[in-house]
Amino acid sequence: MTAQTTSIQTRPSELNWKDLLITLFILAVGGIILVLGGFGAQPGAQATFTDQMLGTLFSLPSQATLYTVGGLCILVAGLRLVRTLGSARSFLNWSLAFLAAFGFLVWVTSGTQMNFTGMIQSMLTAATPLTLGALAGILCERAGIINIAIEGMMLSGALAAVAFAGVFDNLWMGLLAASLVGGIMAAIHAVLSIKYKVDQIISGTVINILAAGGTRFLNLRLLEPAGLSTPGQIGSIRIPLLADIPILGPILFDNPPTVFIMLILTLVINYVIFFTPWGLRMRACGEHPRAADTVGVRVNRMRYISVIVGGLVAGIGGAYFPLDIVGTFEDNMTRGQGFVALAAMVFGNWNPFGGFLAALLFGFADALQVKMQILQPVLPFLNISIPPEFLQTAPYILTIVVVAGVVGRSRPPAEEGKPYEKQ
Amino acid sequence: MAKQRDSQSFKEQIAAWPLWVRLVLLAALVGVSVLLSKWLILLLLIALGLWPLTLLLGLGVLALISTRRGGWTWMRAWLTARLGQLLVPALSVLSALIIGGLVIMFTDQAVYQAMGEGHIGRALGLAFSNVARAYAALYQGALGDPFSIISAIFRAIGGEGLRPITVAVRGPSGSLVQSVPYIFAGLAVALGFRSGLFNIGAEGQIGVGWLMAVIVGFSFTGLPAVIHLPLAILVGAIAGGLWAAIAGVLKAKTGAHEVITTIMLNYISFRMSEWLLCGPLEHVQGTCRTQEIAASAYLPEFLDHPVTIHWGFVLALAAAAATAWFLFKTTWGFELRTVGANPNAARYGGMGVAKNYIFAMFLSGCLAGLAGVSQGLGITRNIALGFSAGYGFDSIALALLGKSNPVGVVGASILFGVLRAGAARMQSLAGVPTEIVQIVQSLVIIFIAAPAIIRAIYRFRAERAEAEQAVFLRGWGS
Repeated sequence: MTAQTTSIQTRPSELNWKDLLITLFILAVGGIILVLGGFGAQPGAQATFTDQMLGTLFSLPSQATLYTVGGLCILVAGLRLVRTLGSARSFLNWSLAFLAAFGFLVWVTSGTQMNFTGMIQSMLTAATPLTLGALAGILCERAGIINIAIEGMMLSGALAAVAFAGVFDNLWMGLLAASLVGGIMAAIHAVLSIKYKVDQIISGTVINILAAGGTRFLNLRLLEPAGLSTPGQIGSIRIPLLADIPILGPILFDNPPTVFIMLILTLVINYVIFFTPWGLRMRACGEHPRAADTVGVRVNRMRYISVIVGGLVAGIGGAYFPLDIVGTFEDNMTRGQGFVALAAMVFGNWNPFGGFLAALLFGFADALQVKMQILQPVLPFLNISIPPEFLQTAPYILTIVVVAGVVGRSRPPAEEGKPYEKQ
Repeated sequence: MAKQRDSQSFKEQIAAWPLWVRLVLLAALVGVSVLLSKWLILLLLIALGLWPLTLLLGLGVLALISTRRGGWTWMRAWLTARLGQLLVPALSVLSALIIGGLVIMFTDQAVYQAMGEGHIGRALGLAFSNVARAYAALYQGALGDPFSIISAIFRAIGGEGLRPITVAVRGPSGSLVQSVPYIFAGLAVALGFRSGLFNIGAEGQIGVGWLMAVIVGFSFTGLPAVIHLPLAILVGAIAGGLWAAIAGVLKAKTGAHEVITTIMLNYISFRMSEWLLCGPLEHVQGTCRTQEIAASAYLPEFLDHPVTIHWGFVLALAAAAATAWFLFKTTWGFELRTVGANPNAARYGGMGVAKNYIFAMFLSGCLAGLAGVSQGLGITRNIALGFSAGYGFDSIALALLGKSNPVGVVGASILFGVLRAGAARMQSLAGVPTEIVQIVQSLVIIFIAAPAIIRAIYRFRAERAEAEQAVFLRGWGS
C-alpha cells in the first residue's frame, strides 16, 4: 500500500536537479572569474575599450571589475541555493549571463585594448545564423512541429547559396536560392511528419543526414568539377548617413545583408506571431489543435505553412556561412550551429526577441573565443594559453547547460510533436 | 507431426540435462569453433561471395526440413512469415538504390554535356551506362567476382593452397570488416530505441571508445595479450558508456532531450580529440596521430592479408546475441523496454524511469564505444585526426532498418557494410563520390519510417499494426 502511494506521489522534497545544475554552473563561472581576477590580471592593469571613430570609449581597472562580476555571480548562486527566486529568476539569468560574458571580455582585454564596437559587431554577426535558426525553430514549434532539422536546412541552404551564386554569377541569387532550398527541405520534413505522421525527431534526423551526405555529394560531383564552389563573399552594405552615427552606426547599419535580414525578420516574425490573427491561429495549432480546428482553423495546412516558412528562414541562415564568412563551400560547414540555434530558441522561451538575445549570448561566446585565439591570454597557475579547441567547445557546453537547466522552466507549446488527426 | 514432436522432445531433453553438462558441451562447441575459426570464416566469406548459391542451398535445406515437418504448405507458411517481415525493408532498400541511381544520372557532367549538344539518345545511354558501371563497381568491390571465387576454389583443390581463395574473397572480407563497427553502433542505437532514447551521439561515443582503447593499447607494453586485449576492450567500452551516460543523467534528472545533448557531446568530443591528437598524444610532429598500439592489444586477424577480417566480427556477433538475450530474456531488459514503450506505465508499475534512462544510455554508449574499439584495435591500430567516418549517423538507419531487433541490426549492418565497402571501389572506378551511400541511407530511413510511401508505390496493404515502438516526442522538456 505504502509502496504504491509513494511511487505515484510526486516527491516535493526531492532535489531539483535543474536548479542545482544552473546554480553550480553560475558558481563555477563566478569562481573562474574570481580566480582570473585574483591571479590572472596584474594589479592596476586596465582594460581599455576603443572605437574606430571615437578613440578610447572607457577603460576599467580589470582586477576590480573581475572581482565585482565574480562576486555577483557567487552572490546570485548563493541566493538561488537559499531560496527560489520566483519571477526575478528570468531577469537575473539574463543579466548574469551578459555580466559574466563581460567579465571574460575584461579579462581578455586586461592590459591591452580592444575595439569595443568591432567586438559587438562580430557578436552580432556570429549571432545571425543562430537567430535565423532560432526563428525557424520558433515558427515550426509554435505551430506544433518539432524541428531538429534546422542544421540540415542550413547546410543545404549553404550549398544552394554557393551553387546558384556561381551559376547566376550573382550573390543575391545565391541568397534567394538558399532560402528556397531551405524551404524545400522543410517541405520534406513537413510532409513526412504531417502527412505520414513519422516521428518528428526521426524525420528531422533524416533531413540532417540527407543534407550532410547530399551536400558533400553534390559539391564533389557537380560544384567542384564545374569550378563553382568559390563564389566569394557578399561583403557589407553600408547604409549612408545612419552608418555615421557613432558606435550604433557601425554596429547596426554597416553589415552583411544577412544581418539586416535577421534583424528585420526578428521584428516581423515577432509581430506576426503575437500581434496578428494569423499568428494567434498558428499558436493555437501548437497549443490546442483540436480547439483551433473547432473554430475553423485548418490545423495541418497551418502547420505546413509554418514549417515551410521556417525552412525559408533557416535557408537564409545557411547562406550566411559561405556568403558572409568564408566565400566557399566546405563540408559540414554549419558545425552544429543549427542545434545551438535550437538551444537559443529554448533559452529564449520560444520568443523571437528571446531567441535573438540568446543568440547574441552564444554569438558572444563565439566572438570571444575567436578573440582569445588571437590574443592568447595566459592562464593563471598553469602559465599556458588555453588551447583553441577548448574555447571552441564553449558554445556546445553552454547549449547543454541551457537545454538541461532551462527547459521545463520555459514552457514549450503544449501540443508540439504530436501529429493532428481530424476526428 | 510425429517427427516434430520428436524434435520438441529433443529440446526438452537438452533442457533436462544437468547444468554442468550443458556448460561443458557449450564450452566444447565454442572451443572447436575457435580452433576451426579460420576455416569457418573462410567458409563464411565464400558463402557471402557466392550468395545466390548460398541462398539456393538454404532453400534446399529448408525443403529437406519441410519434408519431415509438414511438406510444401509448412514451407510456404514459414517463408511467408519470414519474408512478410522483410518486405518493407527490402523494398525500401531497393527503392533507395533506384533513387540513388537517378541521383547519379542527374548529377553526371557528361550527360549534361551530351544533352547540351542535343544528343538526347546518347545522353540517356550515357546516363544508364554510368549507373550500371557504378553499381557494378559497387557490387564487385563489395562481394567480389563470383566466378573468380569458384575458379579459386578449384585451383585450391588442385593443390595451389589457400592463397587464390583469400585473394578472391577479399571483397566479402572487406564488407564484413566494414560491417563490424556498424553492428556495434547499430546495436547501440537499437538498444536506445527500445528504451525510448534516441542516441544520435554514437559518433562521439565511438571516438571516445576508440581513443581510450588505443591509449590503453600503447600505454602498456609487456602485458600478455590475454590481459592486455580484454583490458583495452573493456576500457574503451566503459569510456564510451560513461560519455553517453552524461546525456542519460541529464535526461533522467533534468529532462534535457538526449538528441540535443548527445549531439553537443559529439562536438565536444570532436574538439577534445582534435586537441589530444594534434597535441599531447601526437606521436610524430605534424601527423596528428597517436603511436601504434602494442601487438598484445591487437584484435587478431583470421587469415593472411589481403583478407583483413578480424576477431572484432565475432565480438560483434557475440554482442548482438548478448543484447538480444539482455533485452528479451532478462527482467532488466524487460524494464528497459517497458520504459521505452510507455514510461508512465513503467512508473506506475514501480520501475525507476530515471535509473533506466541512465542505465540504457550507458549500455548504448558501451556498444558504441565497442565500435570504436574494434576499429582501433582491429584495423587502424592507432587513432588519427578525422577518424570519425560517419558510423554513428549511419547507425540510426541501421537500427530503423533492423526494426531495433539485434538480429535485424546484424543483417542491416552487413548490407550497409557491403554498400560502404563497395562505395570506395565505385568512387575509384566510376568516379561517383562515396557520399551516394549516405543519400541512399537517408532514403532508406525515410521509407522505413514512413512505410505508407512504400505501400503506396508498390500497392500493398499493411498487414498488421506495428509492434511496440518507442516514442521520442515528448517535447523538449518531458
